[in-house]
Parts: sequence; structure tokens; C-alpha cells
Amino acid sequence: MTSYFVRRFLLIVPTFIGVTVLVFVLTRLVPGGPIERMLQEAAMAGGDFAEATSGYDGLGGSALSDDQIAELEAYYGFDKPVLVSYVEWLGKVLVLDLGTSTRYNDPVWDTIKERFPISIFYGVATLILTYGVCIPLGIVKAIRHKTAFDNVSSALVFFGYAIPNYVVGIGLLALFAAHLEWFPLGGFVSDDFYALSGFGKVVDVLWHATLPLLAYTAGSFAVMTMLMKNSLMDNLAAEYVRTAIAKGMNFRRAVFNHALRNSLIPIATSFGSNISLILTGSFLIEKIFNIDGFGLLGFESLVERDYPVVMGILVISALLFLIGNILSDICVALVDPRVRFGSGESAQ
Amino acid sequence: MAALLRVEELSVGFDTEDGFADVVDHVSFDLEAGETLGLVGESGCGKSVTALSIMGLLPKPAGRIHGGDILFKDESLPRIPPDRMRAIRGNRIAMIFQEPMTALNPVQRVGHQLAETFSLHEPGLSTETVTRRSLGLLEQVGIPAPEQRLLEYPHQLSGGMRQRVMIAMALASGPDILIADEPTTALDVTIQAQILELLRDLQRDTGMAIIFITHDLGVIAELCSRVVVMYAGRIAEQAPIGPLFTHPLHPYTRGLLASIPRLDDEPKTLLTTIPGSVPGIEELPSGCRFVNRCPFAVERCHGQAPVIDAPAPGRKVACHRWREVNAGDAEARST
Ligand SMILES: Nc1ncnc2c1ncn2[C@@H]1O[C@H](COP(=O)(O)OP(=O)(O)OP(=O)(O)O)[C@@H](O)[C@H]1O
Ligand SMILES: [Mg+2]
Repeated sequence: MTSYFVRRFLLIVPTFIGVTVLVFVLTRLVPGGPIERMLQEAAMAGGDFAEATSGYDGLGGSALSDDQIAELEAYYGFDKPVLVSYVEWLGKVLVLDLGTSTRYNDPVWDTIKERFPISIFYGVATLILTYGVCIPLGIVKAIRHKTAFDNVSSALVFFGYAIPNYVVGIGLLALFAAHLEWFPLGGFVSDDFYALSGFGKVVDVLWHATLPLLAYTAGSFAVMTMLMKNSLMDNLAAEYVRTAIAKGMNFRRAVFNHALRNSLIPIATSFGSNISLILTGSFLIEKIFNIDGFGLLGFESLVERDYPVVMGILVISALLFLIGNILSDICVALVDPRVRFGSGESAQ
Repeated sequence: MAALLRVEELSVGFDTEDGFADVVDHVSFDLEAGETLGLVGESGCGKSVTALSIMGLLPKPAGRIHGGDILFKDESLPRIPPDRMRAIRGNRIAMIFQEPMTALNPVQRVGHQLAETFSLHEPGLSTETVTRRSLGLLEQVGIPAPEQRLLEYPHQLSGGMRQRVMIAMALASGPDILIADEPTTALDVTIQAQILELLRDLQRDTGMAIIFITHDLGVIAELCSRVVVMYAGRIAEQAPIGPLFTHPLHPYTRGLLASIPRLDDEPKTLLTTIPGSVPGIEELPSGCRFVNRCPFAVERCHGQAPVIDAPAPGRKVACHRWREVNAGDAEARST
């Protein structure tokens, strides 16, 4: 069992190297790579081009100084052979030196790091909400298949699924924040957050988080709920459940003692991709609710052609994705002994 | 003496997309304590449905007993409340299934699944007692290194071992009846023989009655004292094992027997088979259901379902022409 996890963790290394190669190649080969783009922007600073690209919120298009260009060139090692510069760049990435943001002039890692608490908060909250709702809901729907409850809840989750989450966000904002004024218009915390008591802080965060979380999760219930429902129904029809009932077990206990754990296997498999997707957020929702998370940072950096930040986010999300996958492998191995022990190695 | 289990005129049907389909029709047989009764018939003739009806395990809500009765020690199983049925199921009447590969929960240890049976019917046993009795059961069903097996997961066991575990679970509370629904069909021949021998030994040692379901008369011959032959949801013939093999009365039984390959057959001769195939539920003939495949069929067989005759004690046959069929036989023997 331990050897399975060790093997799984060792696999991170080659995968991560693969990802970094891809990111690195992007910085080099994509037409209009960072240096070229920077030079262009610098040359056109104040001109039409800068005007056009800086329409976003007036921050972009700032001319790059020769120092900045030299710094970028040095960071990506444009003056050295590809292999050498890749290895050097990788070395920097490994110590979290991701270069300097051309927009903020801060180290990229610091810029990213600042957003972590917010993104992690929303990511984890969304995850808990999604699983907390979908698993029980899927179970009840499977047991009450084709009843009124099942049909109505299906209609609801698919309704949420059909509406894009930013539309849900705008709708909620318009109704509950602008019109009814039950919730704040945006932001992560109130301006007087630091003056609040401990409990007041919690309430404040939740008060700000309610609408965005609803917008985040409204669309994500459908897939997970139906996955849970179908998976449980498959297992309820499985022969080992019939065996359990033939032993004299009641249906309820057979569901919870036997079918449930088996039906969680596909849910555990999808856990990894969910965790990384959710951590990287959605820039539209972040934009609507004015939340300074990963999604917004990535979007603004793209618009501003703040390449070091874009690349940094790419590397970090790739790493998150890898970690997410490993987490889901661990989850699957925890619920499914066939993975842990391997189907072949039957003990003699 | 009253029989341990009486199946009386049992009729079972399923709700399907094209309406209600009768799959078991007026089936009656008795099971005495300690005997082994074989239930044979081609695939789809209703053997499993009969067994599941006894266990109260018909798929709900599609499957339904709509006629007849099943009496276990004078209790009507289809009519008792669910919690009473749960106390009988797995305790007094146990069942093992055809597919040992999927009949065990893949994510629970063998020991856990075995212990569960104890906890269901004898709650409050200490862990040590449960472990000791589990080990005893595994030994009884011939599983080597039982301590280790208790800690393993089903995928770590072979098919034969899994079926032994299933048998051990069924034996846990010393049932009066074991229903074995084609327990060896999915196993290879040598393992099959071992499992049959195990069942025979267990029956001798425990005195439980066994209903052994199979489509293989050869297997029946090795194990059973009495046989019920089913065809398309009805009973064709019922007889003690010896007379059934020496003097089959129903043309279907004769066909089944003729299709068993024998050692004294000329090598490389074609196997005899019964021509035609079992009619589907929608196309059941109105008279005798075997009529389209029967070499002895006459007008009457088409129009009218045969009544059940009892030509000798313990023998029953549902055929209009069993006398003529067997008279021909006697003639053939005497010439
Ligand atoms: N859930 C169900 N819904 C509808 N029809 C069913 C269902 N289960 C069984 N049947 C029908 O009942 C009939 C008898 O099935 P059964 O499983 O008892 O056959 P069997 O004699 O056990 O055959 P086998 O040797 O293949 O196991 C079949 O014709 C089958 O189509
Ligand atoms: Mg069957």
C-alpha cells in the first residue's frame, strides 16, 4: 500500500518536468513571445496600439524600460542555448523565483501568493458545498428513483447547470445586493474587517461569500449529483448487494454498508480535477463580485500581457493539477482495495 | 410428516414494457428436511425466479408472486411481514449464486463480510467468538490458511475460493435449507467437482436440505435424491433420481437425458440435441408448452395444457401422452 503511494508521488517529478518544458517552449516559440511583445509595446507606448490594448482599465501598455527588458531577457535566458536556459529557468522556478511582474514590478510569486488565501477559501468552500450537497442528494435520488422528489431535484440541478455561472452571479448581485441590499455588492471582506471581533470576522467573510459561492456552485451540482446517483444505482443492482440482502440484511443497511462505498469510487476519481479547477477560480465571477483571486489575476495579466505572471500562474496551476490528481488517486486507493493491492498480486 | 418447504401452485410474473409476463406458472414441489432436490431445465425456464421467490428476493417492483403459496414450516413466506422474512432469510434459508466473482463486495475484507452474517442473526456475539466461528466455517468449506483469508479482499481469491466463501457465509447460521443457484456454472470443471463434493459432504454433516439448481442433469445425478424438471415456467416432470434416469416419463426429460454425452457412445458421433428452442414468453403455445419441439405431439397437445398425473408415489408428469410414449419404450426394450 505504501509502495503504491511512493510510486505515485515519484511520478510527480517527470510529469512536472513535462509541464515545465511545455510552458518554457511557450515562452520561446509562440509568435509574439514575451520579449518581442514587450519590445513592441515599449516601442508603441503612447501610440494607438497601447491605447487599444490598455483599454482594459488604464493600467496596461506602460512602457518597458531597457532595464525591464534586460531583466526579462536575463530571466528567460534568451542569450543562452535553449537547454541551458531551460535548466536555469527550471532552477529558478523550483525556488519560486518566477520573475518580476511587468505590471506591478513585484516578484511574480509575491503577486500570486497574495491571492492564495482568497482563492483557497473559495476553492475549498465550493468543494465542500458541492460534495456536501451532491453526495447526499445523489444518494436520496438513487433510493427514491423516479419519485416526485427525484424529478423535481433533477429539474432544479439541471436548471442551475443550464445557466452560465456569471449570469447566475449577475442575477444574484442585482437582486440580493443591489435591489434588496441583503448582501454586499462585492469584495472579500468589509473595509472595517480588522476592527471586527473574531466571530464578527467569520460572519463578515461568510456574508461576502454567500452570493459568489452560490454563483460558483449553482452549475456544479448537476454533474456530481447525477454521477453519484447513477453510480449508486448501478451498485444497488450489483450482485453483492443481493448477497447482503440474501444474508438477511435490510435494504437501508445494504445501501450504506455495501453499495455506498463502491459508488464513491467514481466520485473519488473526479476529486482531483475538481480541486485544481476550483482553486484556479473563474475570472468572470471574480470580476462580477470584485474578488481578488487567481482567476481575475490570470485574466488581467493576459489582457495586460504581463507574461511573467501568466507563465507563473500556468506553472502553479499545472502543479495544483498534479497534486489534485495525486489526491484523487489517494482517495480512490483508500476506498478501493483493488487499487491498493493490485489485482494481480493475490496473496498465496 | 409435513414437508419442510412446500411450494404450492406458485405463479410469478414480471411487469415488462409489453405488459405482464408470466414466467413461473403453477409450480408445485415439496422439500423434505435433509434431502437434496434438483431443479433442472434450460436457460430461462424460471429456475432462478422460483428460487428468488422462495427467498423473497424478486426484483421489486417488477417481479410479483400472483398466485399460489410458499410454506416454510407452515409459515407462508409471501405473506409474512418483512422483518420476519429477514429473520428467516440468510438464517433458516440461505442462498448462493451463480457468479462468485461478483457476489462478494469488492471493497470489504472476507472476514468482515463473514462476520456480518453473524451480527445479523446473532447480535451480541463477542469479536473472538465471531472470529473463531468464521475460521471454523472457512475450514469447514475447505479453505486453506483461513486466518490469512479473513484479512483478504475478494479480488485476492480465485473463483472457486470465492464460491467457498459464499458457501461459508450461507452456512454461518446453520440454515435448514440452502438454495444453490447454479453454483458451479461459472467455475472450471475440476473446481466444479470439488464444490459439488463439498456440498455433498456439508449436507451429510449438517443435515440441511439443499435445492440445487442447474441445467446439467449430469450434475444432478451426482448430488440429488429427487429432481424437478422445469420447462418454460412449468413443471414437466418430478421424480426420484433413479427412476428419472432409468424411466423418464416426459418427452422433454427423455430429450435432456439423450443429450448427455456418454462414455459408451461411439466416439465422434454427433451429440443428440432437442430440436428447436424454448419459446419466448410472448409466443408461448396455448396447450403444452413443449409442443413445438415434441416428437410425440398430437392435436390434443396443441389445444389443451396437460394435467399433472401421478403415475407412481413421488412421481409426477405433465404430459398427455406419457403412457403411449413409455409403452413405445417398453416395446422397444422387449424386442
Ligand atoms: N427482472 C426481470 N424482468 C423481466 N423478466 C424477467 C426478469 N428476470 C427474469 N425474467 C424472465 O423470467 C424468465 C425466467 O428467468 P430465470 O432467471 O428464472 O431463468 P433460469 O431458469 O434461472 O435460467 P438460467 O439457467 O439462464 O439461469 C426468463 O424468461 C426471463 O426473461
Ligand atoms: Mg438462473
